[in-house]
Amino acid sequence: MKRMSILALALVVLAAGSLIGCQSKSSKPVIGALIRNLDEQFVADYAANVKVLAEKAGVELKLLDSRSDQATQLDQLNTLLSQGVKYFVIVPNQTEATEQMAQAIAKKKGGAAFSNIQPSVAALKVGKNFFLASSPESVAGQIQAQIIDDYFQKNPKKLGANKTINALMLLGQLGHPAQKYRTDAVLQGLKDKGYTVNVVAQDTANWKPDEAQQKMDAWIAAFKGKFNIVITNNDGMALGAVESLLTAKYVDDPKDLTKDTDGDGTVLKVPVLGVDATQVALKSMSENKLYATVLQDSVGQSSTAFELALAMAQGKYKAGFEAWGLKPETTPGDEAPANDAAVIGQCYLVPFKAVTKDNYKEFVK
Amino acid sequence: MAASSTVTAQAPARGLRAFLSKNTNIVTFVVLALALGALTGGRAFGLDSIQNLLIAESVRAFAALGVGMIIITRGIDLSIGYVVCLVASVSASFAQTPDYAAALYAGKDFVILVPIAAGLMTGALCGLVNGLLVAYGKLPAFIATLGTLSIARGLQLIYTKAAVVGSLKQPFKNISQGSLGPVPYLAIYVAFAAFVVWVLLRHTRRGTNFYAIGGNPVAARVSGINVERELVMVYLYAGVLYGIAGVLQAGRLGLANALTANGMELDAIAAVTVGGVSQTGGVGTMGGMIVGVLTLGIINYGMTYLGVDSYYQLLMKGVIIIVAVFMDMNKNARR
Repeated sequence: MKRMSILALALVVLAAGSLIGCQSKSSKPVIGALIRNLDEQFVADYAANVKVLAEKAGVELKLLDSRSDQATQLDQLNTLLSQGVKYFVIVPNQTEATEQMAQAIAKKKGGAAFSNIQPSVAALKVGKNFFLASSPESVAGQIQAQIIDDYFQKNPKKLGANKTINALMLLGQLGHPAQKYRTDAVLQGLKDKGYTVNVVAQDTANWKPDEAQQKMDAWIAAFKGKFNIVITNNDGMALGAVESLLTAKYVDDPKDLTKDTDGDGTVLKVPVLGVDATQVALKSMSENKLYATVLQDSVGQSSTAFELALAMAQGKYKAGFEAWGLKPETTPGDEAPANDAAVIGQCYLVPFKAVTKDNYKEFVK
Repeated sequence: MAASSTVTAQAPARGLRAFLSKNTNIVTFVVLALALGALTGGRAFGLDSIQNLLIAESVRAFAALGVGMIIITRGIDLSIGYVVCLVASVSASFAQTPDYAAALYAGKDFVILVPIAAGLMTGALCGLVNGLLVAYGKLPAFIATLGTLSIARGLQLIYTKAAVVGSLKQPFKNISQGSLGPVPYLAIYVAFAAFVVWVLLRHTRRGTNFYAIGGNPVAARVSGINVERELVMVYLYAGVLYGIAGVLQAGRLGLANALTANGMELDAIAAVTVGGVSQTGGVGTMGGMIVGVLTLGIINYGMTYLGVDSYYQLLMKGVIIIVAVFMDMNKNARR
């Protein structure tokens, strides 16, 4: 019995290995893709596009998912380096870990492009072969602030006394960079625009619609009439909040859930904002439920990063290289690492886009 | 691998069979290692590969030694991941470079002993709380440690305000990242800790007590063992080991945040289970724990090396744990 089990075990491993791991020994360029966590929609889209690009370019791609664990990502990097992989696209777990990864890659004379989570200035200073190919998280928050500003400019009656915004905030997993930077930036952005922001309630819903819905159910009961906006860190939670508001009939016209009687662009009494521009979110916007979202361009980021890695692998990279039609920045901006003159030529900023009533149809697939 | 082959070469056939059936954990490890070697034509066992494996598994090994002892006493500890996370954060907060503006104690330069001591004390304290709840509070270990899991997570977020504790001093990082010739420091620390655990389990009265309590708590009490005190001690020792794990993890990553070490309890419990530490209590050795860690390590490493999709990696890990427990149950049922 026991020996059978061991045998079975070994066979499963062998089978899995030979099925999925058959490596062709060709002279194709090899690119490693270290991906933070495929459970996140943005990251999954990013990885999917990298796969498509690798296929098209005839590149052998080694794509690994670290499941949000920086230690795992470090181990995966070391494994690929020991296999001789030199060039990488990386969606890191934390900014603070990027320098160490860059140093390990530089030891083997390789290079990498970092997306989604920005690398530190120190990481880019490790060598000229390290790049930012991303849209800093805080920009998503700033764009949310801009959309909110537009909303209250158009609907000043919805604003509280003394330009007060009474917000309910649904946050992503606490401590996650996207949670922290998006939240900080939207609050700061609103302050900069002269609003007084009163956070009526905030809590994490771990990116999930169902948790968001639960929280929102409780909040509607507790704070009815005391809030004028719902800000969330992603579309999943935004849609959970929308469902909750609809269920509670917290809408313009409780008799007809599809009527936007006050003409503010949403059938709900208050606007709800997300980030990601997922397809379900766009559908919700088309029904005047979700008010607006922000597109983090997974295709743009992954294409930029991949083209940089490919150019390095083929020895075609030169300073000022144009990746996915983007040129590197030339003047330092506000946000690290694109704020440091020494590494500015290694920073490719992929624009975030506000997705509102005016333009959402462009993004529907 | 080398050790087992010398044994098999010298032992007569019957001895060999006895050895194999007694040490299914070692057999599993060897079979997996050979499978990986065969699949990659030996390439997976270069020097840097072995270094990578040792570095990757070291931190988990401390957690495994800790929870392994707890399971021997018929307990369990679900709080490991977040306790290690809390320890890493506390430790890292005292090791940040003083000129880093976002440091928790910006402008303060602590000697290197402070982050180490703070981490170990945090770990010990968490272990002590677990132990008191289980031994004197009479809470089921499953529930008590589920509670401390959440408390540790809460404390971590409060302490760090959910920010990443980064920009750690190089001397602190060197504790984890350095190596003595080709041997990573981390592996040396594990060897030392494993030796201490071995001495404790094999050559002290307390170790014997742990096995007695796990084997039969009523009999242990009747025979005069202070069961409560011993249980507090086992959780305390485990806490110290988690403390070491946390400090080293912070140094290794050069940072700590709310996601550091998440899920480590499952890896550690799985590893010791694969290594032959029985959930029924009273069974298990230091060697088994380490073999278990290496077995899961080689599975992780091998699948990464072969480029197996990470979703399949999770699935495979689950299958292997279930098979290991199944074998363990068979073995213990027959005794």
